[in-house]
Amino acid sequence: MNVGPQGAFRALGDPTRRSILMLLSSQDMSIREVASQFEVTRGAIQKHLSVLEQGELISVRTVGRERINHLELSAIKAVSEWLGYFDQYWDKRLTSLKQAIENEKEEK
Amino acid sequence: MPDTTIVKTIFLKADAETVWEFLTDKDKLGQWFHPADADLSAGSDYVLKGKADDGSTVRKCWGSVLEAKRRETLVYTFTIEPLGGALTTVTWLLQEVQGGTRLMLQHEGIEAAAGDMALPLLMALDAGWDAHLGRLRDYGK
Repeated sequence: MNVGPQGAFRALGDPTRRSILMLLSSQDMSIREVASQFEVTRGAIQKHLSVLEQGELISVRTVGRERINHLELSAIKAVSEWLGYFDQYWDKRLTSLKQAIENEKEEK
Repeated sequence: MPDTTIVKTIFLKADAETVWEFLTDKDKLGQWFHPADADLSAGSDYVLKGKADDGSTVRKCWGSVLEAKRRETLVYTFTIEPLGGALTTVTWLLQEVQGGTRLMLQHEGIEAAAGDMALPLLMALDAGWDAHLGRLRDYGK
């Protein structure tokens, strides 16, 4: 099921799910292992994991009888890319600001 | 530790009063950023709103105004949807110079905000991001 970026947003909109991602950033874990870290039912954890999977933040593989949850490392980008993001973000905003101010002057 | 503060300076052919209005007036903000619910003023929260992909109105940026010294300094906490509510700090410094105003932008705290696991993940997974970057590159040409 492809839910696109909205799925990822939805998946991250919950503190438990964010904590699960933190856990999985250190190692792959089975549902049981993840559930042991939280004071909620295994069923609830399973639901969280499916939302994360739908958001493509994790992938799941079956090993024997267990389903192993794996954080999609390819999804993780460096802080520098955030800087790059904002760098471009502000360039665009400032260009728009300049245009808006100059347009207003012309109207006067 | 790399310096993670973004600093940008532009020169605007307008007096500091005009620039100030564009930074704080709710409607003027809409001309270059996103429209605000109310004019930005010291000590108050702000929300800049825009349209989501499905056409609904969503908040694009929000935070609190920490300092507002008319025609001189505007400081606010700032977050955007992909930052998941983690706050950074944006400072605008205005300086009237010959023929216009020099406007400096400082954006601090990005690294700290990005310390939240959600941030790089969101960034990476927001497929709209690539399209956004593409548009920015076109913009630069």
